[in-house]
Amino acid sequence: MSWRNIRLIYAREIRDQLRDRRTLFMIAVLPLLLYPLLGMSVFQLSQFLRKSEPKILVIGSEQLAENDGLPPLFEGAAFAPGLFDDPAAAARFALEFAEAAPSADQPAATLEVETSPPGTGREQQLNAAQLRLKSGDIQVVLKFPDDFGERLRDLRRQVQAATGGTESRTSERKVPDAPSSAGIPELELRSNSVREKSRAAHLQIEQILNVWKSQIVRENLLVSRVPANIAKPFAVKPLDIAEQRQQEAVLWSKILPFVLFIWALTGAFYPAVDLCAGEKERGTLETLLSSPALRTEIVWGKLLTVMTFSSATAILNLASLGFTAQFIVTQLRAVSDLNLSQGLDLPPLGATLWLLVALVPMSALFSALCLACAAFARSTKEGQYYLMPLLLVTMPLMMLPMAPGTELDLGNSMIPVTGVVLLLKGLVQGNYAEVVRYVVPVCTVTLLCCHLAIRWAVYQFNQESVLFRESERFDLRGWMIHLVRDRQQTPSLAEAFFCVAIIYIIQFFTQLAISANAPATADFGYLTLLLFISQVVCIAVPALLMTIVLTSQPLKTLLLNRAPQAAACVAAILLAVFWHPIGQRVVLWIHQLYPLSEDVTARSESVVRLVETAPYAWLPFLLMAVMPAICEELAFRGFILSGLRHLGHKWWAIGLSAVFFGIAHPVIQQSIAATSVGLVIGYLAVQTGSLVPCILFHGTYNSLMLASTHWPALADRWPVLRGLSSEASPSGPFIYSWPVVVLCGVLAAGLLGWFYRLPYQATKEEWLSDARARQAEHPLPSGLSGNVE
Amino acid sequence: MIEARSLTKSYDDLTRGPVAALSDLSFRAEPGQVYGLLGPNGAGKTTALRILSTVLEPTSGTAIVGGFDCVTQPELVRHQIGFISANTAVYDRMTAWEMVEYFGRLYGMDDDELRGRMELLFERFEMQEIRDLLGAKMSTGMKQKVSIARAIVHDPPVLIFDEATTGLDVLVARALLDAVAELRDQGKCIVFSTHIMREAERLCDRIAIMHRGHILAEGTLDELRDRHEQHDLEELFFQLIRKQQAEHADAR
Repeated sequence: MSWRNIRLIYAREIRDQLRDRRTLFMIAVLPLLLYPLLGMSVFQLSQFLRKSEPKILVIGSEQLAENDGLPPLFEGAAFAPGLFDDPAAAARFALEFAEAAPSADQPAATLEVETSPPGTGREQQLNAAQLRLKSGDIQVVLKFPDDFGERLRDLRRQVQAATGGTESRTSERKVPDAPSSAGIPELELRSNSVREKSRAAHLQIEQILNVWKSQIVRENLLVSRVPANIAKPFAVKPLDIAEQRQQEAVLWSKILPFVLFIWALTGAFYPAVDLCAGEKERGTLETLLSSPALRTEIVWGKLLTVMTFSSATAILNLASLGFTAQFIVTQLRAVSDLNLSQGLDLPPLGATLWLLVALVPMSALFSALCLACAAFARSTKEGQYYLMPLLLVTMPLMMLPMAPGTELDLGNSMIPVTGVVLLLKGLVQGNYAEVVRYVVPVCTVTLLCCHLAIRWAVYQFNQESVLFRESERFDLRGWMIHLVRDRQQTPSLAEAFFCVAIIYIIQFFTQLAISANAPATADFGYLTLLLFISQVVCIAVPALLMTIVLTSQPLKTLLLNRAPQAAACVAAILLAVFWHPIGQRVVLWIHQLYPLSEDVTARSESVVRLVETAPYAWLPFLLMAVMPAICEELAFRGFILSGLRHLGHKWWAIGLSAVFFGIAHPVIQQSIAATSVGLVIGYLAVQTGSLVPCILFHGTYNSLMLASTHWPALADRWPVLRGLSSEASPSGPFIYSWPVVVLCGVLAAGLLGWFYRLPYQATKEEWLSDARARQAEHPLPSGLSGNVE
Repeated sequence: MIEARSLTKSYDDLTRGPVAALSDLSFRAEPGQVYGLLGPNGAGKTTALRILSTVLEPTSGTAIVGGFDCVTQPELVRHQIGFISANTAVYDRMTAWEMVEYFGRLYGMDDDELRGRMELLFERFEMQEIRDLLGAKMSTGMKQKVSIARAIVHDPPVLIFDEATTGLDVLVARALLDAVAELRDQGKCIVFSTHIMREAERLCDRIAIMHRGHILAEGTLDELRDRHEQHDLEELFFQLIRKQQAEHADAR
């Protein structure tokens, strides 16, 4: 790969994009216009909102006219200022008082209302109010029932009487019976939930009424000479120890990564489509492909271009958003007395720096993904279709960290994008000590994803079926027949990925079914069933079925076509024995760094207890060592690795199969350990070309893991075991002493070296990529090499 | 200079299974020679030339260009060739000068050498007035000139023209054929595919007549005429195709 060519392609693509008005508009002009325009409309809207005072129609307010001790609800034509923290707020509500009902127009008559039926005048009033409420002319109708004031005053009198004297208590007690049988008086608050303003006004009035209610209670208590505290025995005083700066950081840490990454994705998409699908459409791609630039150089040149635009879009959007937000907040603060400014000062410099650091891998990831998708598209139009699926996949990953309660832990840190957002959240908030141990998993996963995405893009550019794809009538039946009829000797790359997906999906649904039907008390038989289902049904059966249906040479696919060398088999068993102490150390490290959750510990302990109830001592070994060794090897080193070897790089094939093998384990700590073992077994599979050494290694390794759980107990009987162990912890894995681990490491390295010297069979793709890599050894023909005779 | 040995290319077709676009194609072209591939649309000419230009990989067989293998040494092969096809367009948002310069640099030429060569080419093809014209604003003829300049800027020993006169008017097509003849006289090895008999007659030293991925006949024009006792190339062409179709029908 030559940097000169990459630079050339990069410079050309950048210039090309900058000459494209559409791209420039999307990247530079849109963000510069979008946020100020949005801000302006918000500003206009806020002014409008401020001006619109909720209009309230009050019916039956004459009930409260006689001011005899009740705290005032109204004062003049407005709410009483005493009901608000800020007395000026009372003026924000426009009150309209309905005329007293015709049947009760004289003050003296009010007292008789409860005996006389409500007049038709009141009903008419209500109907008219209802219509106005519907039309939006008024927002809320507040209706006092006809006996409202009277009953409040009654209550007051009863309270007074109850505390007046002991001798009259019995006689007075009968008085409240009449009103209390009718329940407490009900004030009607009518609103129209279809109208937003009406709903808002409803909430506001409700609050005011609550304040008024508590004022009445307080005065009633005062009259009854009961301490006012009785209705409110204690209060809660909220105290947040977080500083204002930290609170701001929390808010920013939630918003900024999301905005940044969404724009990084959008900004990557359009240039990517133009650079791939657009070039195909315009016919210039073949021109470029027939130039001496390598496909990798072309992809890197284009990728860097897309990355540049992705980052530029993200940064410009962020800057424009920040500027507009700042401006709007100042304006809003000026025009309204609402405290909108909280947490909206510009983010601290440190936060911005972290964002920029994280932007590099994220825009690389998004750019590579977009490029690979765009390379697949035949035309720009088809390319646009792929934005939706890309967004659908990445959006939830970006949203997940915003969900309440989501914090950075090992599981979350392993999720692409989500891990970065969570890590960023921690960094922006300044919790360095907490997040530092997740830097490694997050970076590993992110870089791995970036690398895979870039490789995928390069792969797409190497696929002539992708570059010269012609539209074809798709017919599901025809395609299925084609898959079976034109099957290759070993599975294709896509079929390998498909097998992985199928295994995961079956595992997921089986897990759901098992946890839904778990018996109250599990016995060993149930454990046997679970192990059988998880190994045979979830892993071996799909792999075997796909092998039979999709490949023409099933034995070659499963690496069972050749008898293995006896020496390789012995070496594999020995390697497992030597690897065991190293594996135990790895497990210990993982558990120290990322402790198991209590739930997982409890479950694994219950499994250990169940294993102890096994009827025969060999049965657990059969179920937990031999069966997984066969089932998992058939799938991961058989079908899947055979398909992955079409990648053309054996190390990538081994690495990917190991990661897939790791993910198939339910507990994440287990997955990491399994991935490391998967690397060794994948290596054995490629070097020996046979599945038998892999099964032997896997079986031996699992057996030793299982057996070592008994070793602390056996150490008393066999002193040699005590010699091997370091401080044997009673609950954790059996840990070997350092000299044993180092010795085993040396021996294992020796065996791995022995395997390396075995003549391994390269696939056609591996051979080809090797041959192509050797081209550099030839002297390049000079530029003017014409006139060859 | 160019050697194709039993080149086969098949595509997977959902309904028909593998379909052969090329079967067992073998030919040899020497420096100072224009080798013509003559055949109707769908004969496999473009597929064969795409394999020679390393854009496609053959399903089986080998292709050697300038001593390098097209499959295992594609980058080295691409240094040896200039590829002009109806499918290799010019960039819309690049001027003629930038376009030729860009490819010259990709071919690894240094600045002085490139500059001299470009001035020469722009003079030879009378491209001075379109020097700073964007590709989007060029006529088909201008674009084809830029394409040729782009393909020969590094002075490659091998040139591949795939239906290069398609869509050109008589004047420009004539100029292109003259340029090809000139390049041949300079000692280049040229493969020229076309479906126009007159072009093949005028230009090609050897001709392979292709139909449905097969070479039906191969040789110099005179050899072909003698062998099939037909002086008119067009008649000869139809005669061969009819014969193959009859065989094809018999086989079924």
